[in-house]
Amino acid sequence: MHTSHILIVDNDPMAALVTQHGLQRMLNQTAAIEIAPSPDVAQDRCQHEQIDLLIIDPSSESSAETALLKEIHRTHPEIAVMVLTAYDTPRLRSQMRSLGVQYYLAKPVELHDLGESVRLVVSSRAHSSPNV
Amino acid sequence: MARMRWSTSHTRPYTLRQRRRGRERIQALEQQVAELRAQLATQWVQAQPTPGTRLDTLLTLCSALLVTHDLPAILQLVVQQAKALFVGASGVLLFLSDTTGQMLELRATSAGTLPPMRVYPGQSTAGRAFLAPRAMLMAGPELALALDEQQPAQYAELSNLLTHWPPVSALLAPLRLESQRLGSLVIYGGSRAQPFVPRDLPFVQALADMVAIAIVDVEERNRTTQLASQLTQTQTNYAEIQARLDTAQAQLLQSAKLAAVGELAASVAHEINNPLYAARNSLYVVEQDLAADAPERAFIAVAQAELGRIARIITRMRDFYRPTRTELEPTCLNEVLRATIELVHTHLRHGHVTIQHELDAQLPQIVAHADQLRQVFLNLMLNACDAMPTGGVLTIRSTNEPGDASAASIVAIQISDTGSGIDPEHLPHIFEPFYTTKAQGTGLGLAISAHIINQHGGCIAVASTLGQGSTFTIHLPFTPPPTVVLSMYSTLS
Repeated sequence: MHTSHILIVDNDPMAALVTQHGLQRMLNQTAAIEIAPSPDVAQDRCQHEQIDLLIIDPSSESSAETALLKEIHRTHPEIAVMVLTAYDTPRLRSQMRSLGVQYYLAKPVELHDLGESVRLVVSSRAHSSPNV
Repeated sequence: MARMRWSTSHTRPYTLRQRRRGRERIQALEQQVAELRAQLATQWVQAQPTPGTRLDTLLTLCSALLVTHDLPAILQLVVQQAKALFVGASGVLLFLSDTTGQMLELRATSAGTLPPMRVYPGQSTAGRAFLAPRAMLMAGPELALALDEQQPAQYAELSNLLTHWPPVSALLAPLRLESQRLGSLVIYGGSRAQPFVPRDLPFVQALADMVAIAIVDVEERNRTTQLASQLTQTQTNYAEIQARLDTAQAQLLQSAKLAAVGELAASVAHEINNPLYAARNSLYVVEQDLAADAPERAFIAVAQAELGRIARIITRMRDFYRPTRTELEPTCLNEVLRATIELVHTHLRHGHVTIQHELDAQLPQIVAHADQLRQVFLNLMLNACDAMPTGGVLTIRSTNEPGDASAASIVAIQISDTGSGIDPEHLPHIFEPFYTTKAQGTGLGLAISAHIINQHGGCIAVASTLGQGSTFTIHLPFTPPPTVVLSMYSTLS
């Protein structure tokens, strides 16, 4: 069975923990979900490990998370990126779209809905080329 | 006259005695002729008005002019008085200059009729009077020559205006005030027995001066009235412009406040989203581990529902400055009202507030955002409760107001209380963001309510009496205008 590797980057540790725990329960053995304590760590892991999906909360266009997004988009376009943000604004949506982000969810989305979205992403990537 | 008898008999020569008697009779007749001449002279003098009489007439005319402000009436009065003032006058004509000063027009006659008559300055009697520096007397060939300058038609008209034709003399006077030439006055004399004389000139000049002053006075009055009217119009325009400016400034202020509210709401909403997300989904995780019949599930459901409500509130706070994507749907306002009443029922009961509701059973569904309207109703009901700290009656009505050819159908919601009422000085501001009279109030409740109602294409109004209570009335269309729907459906793409 293919195991998808999902990395979470969120500056709110409680939110990150709930995301990780909730998704892990929903996806069971089909995914390995971890939390990156910082954008720098996340970038390092993306360079040296196989990451299928990056779930990230960019609080603003000038945040370290956004810089990470740009870098991943430039160096590892094969990694799927899902934005899960508490700072949903038209401007942020537009910016994420311009960065090539195809999966965008706004908190406080229900975990069930988030899980379904993640399941679809990893499923599509397991069967085909990147969908971003 | 003594009766005289002449002898026609020549049978006898006159005696000396007869001759003497004849001379005596001749002397008597000569004396009678002298007496008759004296009487005639006396009567002529008596017929001529004395200077005192003329001054009295002028003063009377002056008084009349002072209280008369109608130009045609003034001119007619002057020509009538002029004819009375100068014995032997067969007609009086008064001409006024047009605005260019290039033409004189007949404006009044002692005959009462006013035929069209126009002369150039310097032409005929009226034109010469217009250019004359002062009153002048004209008679004989000079007058005949001046009259000949008239157009034939006008010449005929003039003959009809005078009681004696042709005139034997004329008094001409310019109507002037300082350097301003206004017109001319012409008085024609028709009787050779009563000709105009040079001593008439001061009086005709005085009359002309009075007329000139009266004309200028009327013109000044008319100008003043016109200026006053223009001033009033200008003041009205200014007031309208000022009102528009005030409205624009108020709207600008309102927009600025809304923008500030929007930014604040967005900031707060974003900060709350993370803990809300964590709490809500932690419950979800816990719920997954519970047995299907675990009693805790009921409480988790309550917590989930309340957190969901918080999520909706947060979303609505953002909607305060950004249109929501939530779909509009057919909504039964009576159901929304009942649900809201149920929500606040306990709170009101603790406040000793009695609820009365008169909901129109025929109220049709409207296209609306039920959650947002519920928030409006909730806000108004809680405000009503706050206005009745010692209890009272909260009345909620819904009515259907069918439209006609000129107006679309609408539904009306009234929420009334018997509380303390709103001070008139606060009424114009209660829908403004941050305007509050409550110590702990945020000043956002009514502003958001008004915003939501406006977003639905409706309006909200309040009527209040101090000490008696307030009534908030909401009017909503069955269907929001297309522009509102577009705004509320607007996505961020």
